[in-house]
This record gives sequence, structure tokens and C-alpha cells, in this order.
Amino acid sequence: MSRTGGSSSLRRVFHLEVLKRTEYPEAIRDLITQLRQMPGVGPRSAERIALWMIQSRDDKPEQIATAISKTRAQIRPCKLCGFFATEELCEICRDDSRASDLLCVVEQPTDILPLEKTSAFRGQYHALGGRIAPLDHIGPEDLRIQELLDRIARENFSEIIFALAADVEGEATTNYLVESLKAKPIKLTRIARGLPAGGGLESADELTLYQALTGRTKL
Amino acid sequence: MLTSLRLHNFRCFEGLSVDIGPGLNLFLGGNGEGKTTILEGVCVLLRLQSQRSASLAPVVQTGKKSFGVRGRFEEHELEFRYRALRRQVRFDGVEQRTVGEYLRLGRVVSLANVDIELVRGGSDTRRRYLDFLGLQIDNAYRPALRAYERALRARNALLKSPTARPREVAAYDAPLIQHGQVLLRQRAELTESLAPLAGQAYERISAAREKFTLRFVPGASADFEGDLERSHRESIRLRQTIVGPHRDDLELRIDDFPAAQFASEGQQRGIALAMKIAQADVLKKSGDKKAPLLLIDDIFGELDPERRNALLDNLPPASQKLVTATAMPWRDEIIADIIYELCDRRLRRL
Repeated sequence: MSRTGGSSSLRRVFHLEVLKRTEYPEAIRDLITQLRQMPGVGPRSAERIALWMIQSRDDKPEQIATAISKTRAQIRPCKLCGFFATEELCEICRDDSRASDLLCVVEQPTDILPLEKTSAFRGQYHALGGRIAPLDHIGPEDLRIQELLDRIARENFSEIIFALAADVEGEATTNYLVESLKAKPIKLTRIARGLPAGGGLESADELTLYQALTGRTKL
Repeated sequence: MLTSLRLHNFRCFEGLSVDIGPGLNLFLGGNGEGKTTILEGVCVLLRLQSQRSASLAPVVQTGKKSFGVRGRFEEHELEFRYRALRRQVRFDGVEQRTVGEYLRLGRVVSLANVDIELVRGGSDTRRRYLDFLGLQIDNAYRPALRAYERALRARNALLKSPTARPREVAAYDAPLIQHGQVLLRQRAELTESLAPLAGQAYERISAAREKFTLRFVPGASADFEGDLERSHRESIRLRQTIVGPHRDDLELRIDDFPAAQFASEGQQRGIALAMKIAQADVLKKSGDKKAPLLLIDDIFGELDPERRNALLDNLPPASQKLVTATAMPWRDEIIADIIYELCDRRLRRL
């Protein structure tokens, strides 16, 4: 057989295989589809995870399944601040050693941990669960704003610190809350914005520098 | 200087690779062959925006989900991939989180027949003209423009909502004012540098006696906050924000008469050209002082040899130029460094 003849018959075999695509059994395909719903999991990762689950020799996949249902049943938002809790109140809200007159308002419960890591704040928190974003159809009534106002009326805060994002929606949400609270004899503050730690002036944009200048601190 | 360009699933091209020379690169081809698309590829690569459409969605080849452009500019490798919800920008092979450094590199001015819309069209065309320049000159322009647009859209959505939401509207006033003031100031400054250059360019290319003047007409006064307050009642009635830089405009006049109504077709084309030459001049004077890359789309075909030469003489000579034409009626006059012919989606070097 000549070389060209060989390669063309090879091509024919290859071609046939391409047409008759073998796939995973339906159960595996279903699992892959389910896994793909998770954030950050694409088709390739979903396939790898699914295969690992099926081929695993111990019961790690079952342990994970139990952990998922157990955690989902146990964890709920803290009634007071919205952080993750196993009881009615979260660990932070139950902690008596924390200052009870300082309140820090954040967008999401996940914003609380980075602030905690700084150990610069030992007061109470309140997570709004988002921000006022008309373009995403989120209004004040969709957030935990009424809960915040009730809490402020009930408890005795001397200062409320707003730690929302420094973008248009974060800004607007802060303005909205400040407007609702400014009649009360409570100090309202916002976390400073400006140069990143370790950053030089030349790499900062005009807006950041402007905010750094207007928000300067006394030495 | 741009030395190479590669397009992938980009409008009519499934794949196209072009080497680009330092001086004048001429692309010849019939209508619909994709000449403008090659220029658009350069614009999207260097500026991450198209010179001919406001959105990048139509750039994706029909039936495909994404497009990609790659190229070499000076010693840097640039790459941009676009799909509906994801844009990926790579600078020397490294994925960029922000586009600042990437966009600092290549600066572009586009000259095309549609530029006559600068004179005849609505004010959005003229704001885009200012923005196209502002985005290439000042790093603070992009964040101010994006934030302003976002605040404006949010505020207008609230004004349009079926139930009145006055407190939420008011919450968006501060960001609207803050970013709007930056934008107003930047556009006024841009016009200040453009106006004399555009006037001079018009004089040179038209060899005419009439005088062309360019003036910034801001959509709000220096007291933007006060304007917003005073227009409050009216904006509630109309359910939209009626003052602000989204109403900015440029006033174009020929000997004190509004150019849109009183200038002849030839004068209007001259004005459009002069405005683009001024753009190139401003770019050449700012930043790294390098002449911008020029995309000249199908303009030469309409000009007689004398005007063609006048135009070429008025463009920064150091500029790298990409020029398209349907035919080459002026073989002896212009020395192109590289001539390509485009036929059936393929490039052939002549």
C-alpha cells in the first residue's frame, strides 16, 4: 500500500470516529450539568470534579455531600447584623467585650471579615445585603435598611461608620442613609479613601488623589 | 508604531494577518471587501473601542460568540478578546486587571466620510468626538465618564419609575455632580486646545476666506449643583435629568453662521477634516509627543489631487497612516510604503 493510500484510509477511520461521538452515561452528564451551576466552575472543571467523585475510593464525596446539607441547615443570617450565624445571633453580636455604641455599616456580610482582620474596629456591624442600584432593580425596600433604622432607634449608638464601596452605587447608598439619619444626634462618618498603602503618588489617578487631598488627616 | 495586526472572527474576517509598515499603508479593494474593518481592527486593538460603532457587539462575526485582535506596537505585544460578558486584555502576554497601562500606548485619529456627521448630526456625535480625544489624553477621563454615565442612567431610571422615589434620586445627585464637574471641566479644556488648531487647519486645507470657529457649549454651568436644583421640577415632569454634561455640545460656525444650516457640502467636509486634523495636532502635543496613528478611510477618493495633497501636508508627517481606497487613480502622486489589495477576504501585497 502506498503512503498516500495509508493516510487516506487512516483519515477515513478517524472521520468515522468523529461522527459517532461517544459520551458519558446520562447520570454523569447530569452531575456535570449540576456542578456547572456553581460559581467559578466551567465545563472542564465540572467534568474533572464529577470524575473524581465517581472514581474516588473512599467516601470523601459523600462527606462533602453531608457537609453541604449540614451547613445549609445550620447556617442562617444573624438576626441583628446579617452575618453568618449558627444561632439567632452571630458570634460578633453575642460578644459582650465589643463596644456597643459603634456601628459599622457594610454592603455584604462577606465585607465584615476583611474589616475584622484589621483588628482596628471592635464595635457592631450591620450588613445591608447589597446597595441601592436602580439599574439592577434594587431599591431600599430590597435591602436591610428598615432593620438598620429600627436598630438605631432601639440601641444607643454614638457613631455610625459607613464602609460601602467607593463607586457610584456605594456612594448613592451612603448618601441615602446619611439623609435618613442626619436629624439624629449621632456622629456619621465614612471610611477614608485615597492612596493605597505602599503606593506612590505618580501611580494614583486624579480622582484618588483628589479624594486623598480632601480627606487629609491632621498630624 | 504598529507593525502587525491579526484579526480573529472579526466582522467579515474569520482570520486575517497583516504586516504594517512605518509610513503610508494603502489598502485597495471594492466595496464590502472589508477595508474599513481592517482599520477598525487597529482602532479596537489600540483603543478598545470602535471608530464606527458605539458598541463592540456587532464586531463579532455573525454566528460566533467572540472576537480577538492581536498586534505588535513598538516593542509590546497587545491582545484583546471580547465576548458578551467578558473582555480580556493582555499586555505583553500578561492579563490586565485595569486598562490604564494598555491604553497609554497607541493613540489614534480616524478620518472617514461619516465625519461630516460632526457638522450635520446630533450632539452625541460631537460629544463622542471630544470623548475619543479625552480618553487618549487624560487617565482621569475614563473613570469620570464611566461614573457619570452610570450615575445618570441610575438617576434617570429612578425618575422614570412608576412610583416617585425622590429620596433615591437625591442620593444620586452627589455622584452625578462630582463626576459631572470633572467631565465638564475636561471637555472645556479639550475644546480650548482644539479650537485654534481646528480654525488654522480649516484655513490651510480650504484656502478659503471664510473663518471656521469652534466653541464649547456646556450642558450645565459652573454651578452644576444649582442648575440641577433649579431644573428639578422640569426634570420630574420630563422624567429625566435635563442638565449636565450629557447635554454638552460643540458650536460650529462659518463666519458666524451655524455650519449645519449655512455651510455648503464642501465646506462641511472641510470642517470635519479640520476637526480631525486638530485632534491629531492635540495628540501630537500631549503626552509622549508622538504623532498618533491615522486611519484614513475612503476620503482620498472624493478629493481632487490638489486637496489630497493639501490634506496629506496638513497631517503630522511622522504619523503612521493606514489609508483605504476603492481604486488607485493617483498612482504617480502618492508614494505608499506598502500597498495591499483586498479581494475575497484575502490580502495580497502589490
